[in-house]
Formats: sequence, structure tokens, C-alpha cells
Amino acid sequence: MTNYSFSLLTGDTGPLVKGTRPDCLRIPIHAHKPILASGDQVLSGTKIAEAKADGHGDLHSPLAGTIREVDSFSMRIEVTGNTRTDSETPPGDSGESLSRWLHNLGINVSRFRRAQTLIINAVPPEPGISIYEPLLRDYRKTLELGLDTVERMVEPTKIFLVAAKGNRANAFANCTVMHVAPTYPNGLDQLVIKAVTGRETLPGATPENTVLLSVSDLYLIGRVMETGRPATETVMTIDGQNLLVRIGTPVGFLVAEAGGSVQPGDRVVLGGLMRGIPALNLEQGVGRDSTGLHVVRKGEGLESTDNFCLGCGECERHCPARIMPGMISRCAEFKHFARAETFHVHSCIECGICGYWCKAQRPLLQYIRLAKFEIALLRTATSPAKEPEKEKDSDKCPEKTDD
Amino acid sequence: MIRPMNPLLTVSMAPHVHCGRTIKGYMRETLLALMPAAIMAGVIFGMDAVRVMALSCAVAVVTEALANRLMKRDLAVDDLSALHTGLLFAFLLPASAPWWLVTVGSAASIFMGKVIFGGLGGNPLCSPLVGWALCRISWPEFMDTNATMLASNLPAPLQQLKSFGLDAVAFIDPASLFMGHQLGGLGAIQVAALLAGGVFLLVRRHISWEIPAAFTAGLLLTAWIYRTIDPATYATPLFHLLAGGSIFGAFFLATDPASSPVGRIPTLLFGLIAGVMVIVIRVYGIYPDGVPFAILLANLFTPLLDRIRPKPFGGPYTLTQEKEDDAICKKCCG
Repeated sequence: MTNYSFSLLTGDTGPLVKGTRPDCLRIPIHAHKPILASGDQVLSGTKIAEAKADGHGDLHSPLAGTIREVDSFSMRIEVTGNTRTDSETPPGDSGESLSRWLHNLGINVSRFRRAQTLIINAVPPEPGISIYEPLLRDYRKTLELGLDTVERMVEPTKIFLVAAKGNRANAFANCTVMHVAPTYPNGLDQLVIKAVTGRETLPGATPENTVLLSVSDLYLIGRVMETGRPATETVMTIDGQNLLVRIGTPVGFLVAEAGGSVQPGDRVVLGGLMRGIPALNLEQGVGRDSTGLHVVRKGEGLESTDNFCLGCGECERHCPARIMPGMISRCAEFKHFARAETFHVHSCIECGICGYWCKAQRPLLQYIRLAKFEIALLRTATSPAKEPEKEKDSDKCPEKTDD
Repeated sequence: MIRPMNPLLTVSMAPHVHCGRTIKGYMRETLLALMPAAIMAGVIFGMDAVRVMALSCAVAVVTEALANRLMKRDLAVDDLSALHTGLLFAFLLPASAPWWLVTVGSAASIFMGKVIFGGLGGNPLCSPLVGWALCRISWPEFMDTNATMLASNLPAPLQQLKSFGLDAVAFIDPASLFMGHQLGGLGAIQVAALLAGGVFLLVRRHISWEIPAAFTAGLLLTAWIYRTIDPATYATPLFHLLAGGSIFGAFFLATDPASSPVGRIPTLLFGLIAGVMVIVIRVYGIYPDGVPFAILLANLFTPLLDRIRPKPFGGPYTLTQEKEDDAICKKCCG
């Protein structure tokens, strides 16, 4: 795939289309605690799971039906109809009660702390993802309502709308528009924060006094405020078209709706081609953070190898985080994880550009993530009694699972 | 969780796209860039040069295959890297080199230059230069590009400069040096052809401009300083650039990916060190052409130069005990 372009220009996209109703939903719940069990009847809008940690809102069924299966990763709902729960009236006051109400309806509110700077990221996260374009064009009212709501919680003094130069972006009230060059990875949160505040923050952190959210976050909040109903959808670009897709819609259904087909050995990537996560099977449902869907044919794209690092430095030359992915991958390859830290593995913003340029086709981002994960395990394994296993780790933070 | 399995999907880590470049492609295009010089060597030195190049390449490939077998690794000669090393080594030899010299040198380039450091990408020194240095020190009389080529009418500019002083090379026209009319390594002195190949590599972005530019700048600058000190003793910068293997070193030896540093400042310094050392060795050293030794010396600086790093994104950070509880909870609980 050598004709891949890093351009973030979206051009003119069609209107936002509502996704077709699937017969079955498989809702990812790995960050949630299910509150309903197999066999329960749900309506469209019934709460089915509560968020286990900060960074997520509660989950609701997008459609009416019966829960058929619940495991620790997903919940399968057989869809029978469209009957809805009653809509709620948004609380008039601001602050805590509004935030709790939104959390209840599926919005991730943990980032809405009081801050002076509010950044709205309207730069496409990856090439080929144009979800913000129809929202900014056709859903101005909803976005304004969303922004108004967020302002009530954050109470910012300055609001910035960051857009890629060449893409449409009209300012909202009291809002400064900033342009960044329309090339990947400029749409990633860390680089947008840097463009506005001039400060570099490690991935997963935002500087004090700054809150960042995307245009689709605004849209979903605006919709919750408009309708008084939970957020159960996500905006995705599929084959150049932007769809409002219900969470849990199986990827196989979406591919078929778009007129595509999947052969054995293909990759069905949720998200963009640089950072997306491939689906395990065609029944996997889309999550709240899914922004796109791509089918990568067998034999196309990066087929990673275990070749040795050539030391050519292409990865380092293209790295926006100014680290040495090649050296980190060598450390991770031979399990020298602590040494990877001396090469600043934590600065990696996981854009995937290193892997794109690697002549040896090494899975550089995978090595980097492995190193990060192993370092985290290494540092938390305080006593040998504690099993550093994924399942057990949830026991370590009871204060988070309680809420 | 992975059921149903039909159709069985491929699952892999991002990115899912690739620029399409491979090691083999890189080696193929580098060999292509060496072709004009190889052809010119054949034209100027005749079958002697072809013999040396063919033997050197064959020995290199066979050595690599044997080493792979010995180390119980998959046969990796099809990535063309052994062929590349073999050809680079041949370029440094006189066309008169005896078969055993070519064999020993080429095998040493692969074995001592590359394989014992773990193979492709692990070599701390430019591998053909390791073989060259071994031969140059062990059999200086056979490696002397002037003494072994007495039958030739071509001038040997660097040897004449070393032995007879500036007057001996005053009559040599830079244009004829540029066209490769001089004695030296059979491919290393094909200046025009190598320059064409080097530009091709630059255009195809297989090498970046920093090392060749800094190498040339370092060489010209040092030569100019000496020339300014005493124009009666020291040759012109242009003479130093065109005589011997300067261009070959700048574009093909110093840019070896594994043994050169990566960042912009380190590569510029690396090129400068190598370029300066070329003239220093040519002026004070016992060897007429300083290019191979200068690059070997600069290679030794590579790990040191690679420590010159820009500040990483968000500043240096080490995961500490109290922070990571949070980090892991976020990762696992969501």
C-alpha cells in the first residue's frame, strides 16, 4: 500500500447517515460492570452496565431486545424492536449534578474538571476519517448546545477550536480558531494540546488548566441535552461515508451494509489504518471510541516480520515524539524493558508512523507497547504474592470499581 | 471470545499500512547505484576488474550462507546484503589483486565485519572496511594500488602526492580525475559514476543528505585550511575531493545504516569527523588514501554521537512506584 497519504484534508463529505438497525448487538463492556444478566429484557435506553473506572460513562442499550449472553468482554443483545425508555429532562443547574446526570447517560465526564483553557479538537484523528466534517457543517445547533453544556462544567476563560488548515471550521461564540498543518499525526490529542498551549504532555495526561475534547464528544453531549436520552451511538467513517452507528453493531454487518465482503485472512480494522485495532471476528461490536472501519485484504498492508533492526533510522527521522523506536524495539525484543525506559519509551504517542516507515517491517509499535506494559507490570509487582495478571489487577483499585 | 472463527480474520498491531520499502529493495537500489561505477571499472581496468568484483561478490555470498548454516539461522542471502558488501569491498581493491587476497578480504568483510556482531544491522563498523583494513595491514604490498599496477599509464595522484610532493601532481587535470582516470580502488575512483549513483540514492531517499554533505564539507574545509597555510606544500581542496575514494566514502561507505548515527546533529558531526580525518591522514599518515581509515575511526564515534538526542516528547519520564498503581488500574479496569 504505497499510495497511502498522510493528508488529513477531508474534502466535501456527504451528510451524516443513520446506520441501519442490526438484528443483534454485541456491546463491548470490558471497561464496564454489567448490571443486567442474560435473559433480561431491555428497551432502547435501558442502562445495561456501569463504568468501572474514570474515563467512561455508563452504557445503555441502543435498541430494545433481550440480553442473550454476557461475558467479561461483551454483552449480546437480540434486537426485537425500537421501543424507547422515557426521556429525561436535563438539570438546569451546572456543576456536580449536571456532570452526574451526563455520566448516567453515558458521557465520559471525568475530564471535565474546572480549567481555564478548553480545546476542541476538530482535526481528523487519522487520514481517511472525516467524522468531524458533517458534524461541523450540519449539526451546528447540537454542537453549540454541547459546548454550552461543557462550558457550564469547565467554566473556561479561553476556548480554542483546532482545525486542519484547508478543512471547514467555523468558530463558535467566544472561540478562537487555530489551524494546524493537515498532515497526520497532527490530529492526535498530544500534538493538538502542544499546538494550542505550547506544552508537551505525556500520553494519557493533559496539562493543568486544560480540557480537551473532540467535535464528536460535543455532538454526543449536545444530543443527550437535546433529547434527554442516553448516548448510545458513535460516529464512524466507513468507505468515505459518515455514519451514526449504534454501539454494539457487529462489524460484519457494517461491512455488508457498505457493500463490502470479508475473505479469510483479511483484517477488519476498527479506527484508522495507522492506529486502529483489528476486530477478532465479524460479530465483534463497535465500541464508543470507534471512529472508522477499514478492511485490509490479506497480503496488503504491513505484514510484520522478525527481521533484525537495520539501524537505518527511518523510524527516528519520522518520529513526532523524538524518540528512537528502533532502539526501543531492540530492547523489547530481548526483554530489556528497563533499558527501553532510558530510551524514553513513555514519550511515545503511539501514532504508528515508525512501523509505517520501517524497511525491515518490524512491528515497532507492538514492541513499544509491550515495553510500556512490561514496565508497568515490573513496577507494580511489589511483592511476589500479588499475581500480576490482568484479572487480578482490578482488585487493586476497589475505590474505582465502587462508583 | 474469538468464536465464531469463520471467516478467520488476521489480527495484528497497528499500523496496518506500510510504505512498501523492504531491506531487499534497499539493497537492490543500492546495488543499482553502484552499477555505473562497476561498468566504468570494467571499461577502464578490463577483465581484471570484472574478475575481482565477481570473485568478491561470490565469496561474500558463500560466506554469508555458510555463516547462516553455522549459526542455525534461516538462509538470508536473498536479501542481497552480502552481495552489496562484496561489491563494496571489491571497489576498494586494485584491479590487480590476486585471488587469495580477494577471497580472504571478502570473507573477512562478511564474517568479521558483520556476522560475529549478530548479522545485518549489528555491525559497529562499516563491514567492507573491516575486510579492507585486515588486508591493508596484513599484505600492504599487494594492496598498494600504485605498485601493483605499474603496467598502467594512469597517474596515481595520492601516492605521487605522498612520495614526491605537490609538484608531481601539478600536471593532473581535475577533469580527468573526475572521469576516473587515476589509479586507486577499482571502483572507488570512478568519481563521476559514483556521484551519479549517490544522487540516485539521495533522490530515492535511501540515504539522507547530512552525511555526504558534512563529509564533503569537512574534507574541503580541512584541505582549504592546509592550502591556506602553505600553498606550496598542500594540494587544493578540489584535488583531495576528486582523488582517491572521497566520493565513494561520502556516499556509499559513511552512509552505511548500521554503523552511522541517526539524528541530524549526530550525522552532521559524524560526516565532519570523517571528512576532517581523511585530510589529516592524507597529510600526516603513512597511508596515501585516508578515506577507509577515516570512516572506520568515525564509526567508533557513532555510539557516542548517538547520545546527542533531542529532548523526548513531554520530557524524560520514569515510571515511579506511586504513579504506576494509577497507570495500571487505568489500563486494566479501563
